[in-house]
Amino acid sequence: MAREFTRRDFLKLGAMGAATAVMAGCQPPRPWITLEPYVRPPEQQLAGVATWFASTCRQCPAGCGILVRIMNGRALKIEGNPDHPLNQGKLCARGQAGLQVLYNPDRLTGPVQQSQRGSRTYEPLAWEAGINTLYEKLAAAGGRVAVWTNSTVSGHLFDLFQRFSAAVGGPSPLVYDLYTGFNGYRLLADVSQELFGRAALPTYSLSHADVILSFGADFLGTGLSAVRYGREFGGFRSQPLGKRGYLVQLEPRMSISAAVADHWVPLRPGTEGLVAGALVQIIAEEELASADRAALAQSLIGGLDVGSIAAASDVPAEELLHLAHAFASASQAVALPGAALTGTDAGAEALAAVQALNLIAGTAGEASGLTLSPPSPSEAVLSPEPAAFSDMQALIEQMRAGQVQVLLVHGANPAYDLPEQVGFLDAVANVPFVASFAPIVDETALWADLILPDRTYLEGWGYALVSPSFDQPAVSGQQPVVTPVFDSRSTADILLTVARGIPAAAQALPWPHEVAFLQETVEQLGPGAAGGSGIDVLWTRFQQEGGWWPASPPEPEAPSLASAPTIQLQSPSFRGGEEEYPYHLYLYPSGLLSDGRGASQPWLQGSPDPMTTVSWQTWVELHPETAEELGVHDGDIVQVTSPEGELEAPVCVYPAIRPDTVAIPLGQGHTDYGRYARDRGRNPMQLVGAQADATGSSLAWSTLRVKIRPTGEKVALALFENKVGVTEGFLNAEFPH
Amino acid sequence: MRVVRSIPRLWRLIAGVVLVLVVLAGVYLIFGLRSRAAPQQPIEFNHQIMVSVGMECLYCHNTATRSPAAGIPSVEKCMGCHKVIATERPQVQELAGYWERQEPIPWVRIYRVPRFVFFNHSVHVNAAGLNCERCHGDVGNMVETYAVVDMNMGWCLNCHNQQSNASQLKDCVVCHR
Repeated sequence: MAREFTRRDFLKLGAMGAATAVMAGCQPPRPWITLEPYVRPPEQQLAGVATWFASTCRQCPAGCGILVRIMNGRALKIEGNPDHPLNQGKLCARGQAGLQVLYNPDRLTGPVQQSQRGSRTYEPLAWEAGINTLYEKLAAAGGRVAVWTNSTVSGHLFDLFQRFSAAVGGPSPLVYDLYTGFNGYRLLADVSQELFGRAALPTYSLSHADVILSFGADFLGTGLSAVRYGREFGGFRSQPLGKRGYLVQLEPRMSISAAVADHWVPLRPGTEGLVAGALVQIIAEEELASADRAALAQSLIGGLDVGSIAAASDVPAEELLHLAHAFASASQAVALPGAALTGTDAGAEALAAVQALNLIAGTAGEASGLTLSPPSPSEAVLSPEPAAFSDMQALIEQMRAGQVQVLLVHGANPAYDLPEQVGFLDAVANVPFVASFAPIVDETALWADLILPDRTYLEGWGYALVSPSFDQPAVSGQQPVVTPVFDSRSTADILLTVARGIPAAAQALPWPHEVAFLQETVEQLGPGAAGGSGIDVLWTRFQQEGGWWPASPPEPEAPSLASAPTIQLQSPSFRGGEEEYPYHLYLYPSGLLSDGRGASQPWLQGSPDPMTTVSWQTWVELHPETAEELGVHDGDIVQVTSPEGELEAPVCVYPAIRPDTVAIPLGQGHTDYGRYARDRGRNPMQLVGAQADATGSSLAWSTLRVKIRPTGEKVALALFENKVGVTEGFLNAEFPH
Repeated sequence: MRVVRSIPRLWRLIAGVVLVLVVLAGVYLIFGLRSRAAPQQPIEFNHQIMVSVGMECLYCHNTATRSPAAGIPSVEKCMGCHKVIATERPQVQELAGYWERQEPIPWVRIYRVPRFVFFNHSVHVNAAGLNCERCHGDVGNMVETYAVVDMNMGWCLNCHNQQSNASQLKDCVVCHR
């Protein structure tokens, strides 16, 4: 009898399949769980009840206040501190991922030495031996000691480094990292000095603005203070009486900030400053604003030809007119300068043109508008001010010339951050002794003779002067929230120990340990919003509240023109001829990995990029038309060549970019820095070369042209709706890019 | 035709029921019995001795009235007495070994509720006035500690249902929040 496969059979088979699936889900029972009680319990710990500690996030230089949830001595969760004046309880993805800085499996478990630099064979040694070696080298070097640190170094350690350098007669510690270098911190401060007479980072309050013109400022992504700008943007979009504000984003590639804008103007890369100048020119010519503001506009700008700017920037003249009208007629208008603008060869003028718009808007110092970050509330509180690119080059030159006997590297990673042409690796070869304090061996620690791992920010003491700070000066406190996970030691304590043996430094650094030094600093700050008197109370409140800020915010300082400059704008000059190099290169810091320091944290690696959804990789964004011309699709590996360097990475076809522009995110391309960062993607800084802007303040990274050649190879992109999921992006061995 | 087919169908039904029973029995054997067995502990710890000398549960599990977790005593706390008491016993010497090495003792957990259940000891001890034995059995007479009940949702609800405020205590979010 031939049986037919009936509907009933189908259902039966289906049910059997389902039952099999259910049975398969019944794994063998879990193994027993062990409960490990403390050997000696801390007094305030109650089993099963979380303790929260206030501290400071150190994933970027902004200095947001955090609260860390501790359960049985382990840090479980990081949240924003609601009382903190900067971030007011909010925190970004990078801040949340800080736990993986603490618990990273690739952290050094103790001090190590390397008998041959770059060999990647690290011999463990005892702390006493490591500190003694450092002492001997420092004692012998005298004043020929250089300190290279970064913008997230704690203020107290920076202070101690500075005192040490001054005492032994060495150069001041150098603060240079890609985060501040790329975002043009130094140039921003220099232009403030030139225009307003005080070198401070500008801040822009947005919460009451009617119109914002953002000249490539990805203020919601990796700007100067992304969390605070996120709050400002929230206020901007939900103003009283339903007012919503109007945001225009002018940039060649749509960032997350452009994605939420009302209007996106994809101008030609490098012309942001020219467009800002053209708007000033239109306001001056057409007298769009009140008489005095129009007069100010006339005094600031020297006869620009709006028509030629329209052609150069690829923004139609009518559009420029419309933008000028919108800006001038708003009662609260703000103009934001972006990173790309500070990375041109004439960044200072471009920046000045944007600041000129803010002055013409007449909102400087008001509830919505430009202010300058307030100065430090006390002489005792220091902030690591980023060095100019030329200062950094000067140190490298000294190193190359053999004038530096000992190089101490704390936090900074110049071997990764800097283009090869800057010559860090050549220079470091001429330094007889290099000590690093990196918790994870990074590209720079690879070239160190001795690595004395510092504690991470969740285990260590410190403070950060909030910079840029919006309405008031604030000193954000940092305290250990857990006992150190590995056998690491505070660099500040090591420095104090070593200094005791060096006669010149012993007097300058008399403190027995870093806490004594920090307590002195807090005592000098005096009572803030938390009140109290006497060092015990002040110190306790400093830890309890998460820092110090004044009892009542001071009146915002309205920046006024210190001089009457006439802003001379020129068209940017691009490296690479248009014939040979047909595309503009547009680099941007990854929203998650930022300048690359987040690459060691798998949460950040695995989080999809907010615009393209790619994770774990470096990708090259091409407009669909450009991709079609080149005959490439998602995942096709292309070779991107600039006059300065080349890299290979897969294409991600991205419609929200100019067809003549190629965008690549920073952050990947590490050769060390732990298992999650190593051998993954490419570092686009290698396309940039070593040219600085006209003033020498910052690296000119945004005025480059590139050419693209398909290689014929292909990898799967780990992006949403692709066959390769986010997890496979890490697991799949075929992901070298 | 219909009659002929109906017999194997009956058999198939019976076979199906038997199969389901066997599977259920297997699941019970694996999960049910396992939960009752006393696991091997790192130190052969005897609750009976502790209780027989007059110690209260709360002396060691002292956060039961103050915290969601009853707490396992720290090595320091054990050594508070065992520095001088019963030092000749091999189990106490093992304990001293942990103390000397400053290592935590990896005690094996007896009771466990899933992650999505928020159980709070202090409410049950303070507000409901339950004594420890009510849930954990006569631990004072256990040489090896084992689970006397399977702490599943039905077991919780059995008790919650009998309370005067049962309507509140039956709310899902009392435990699943």
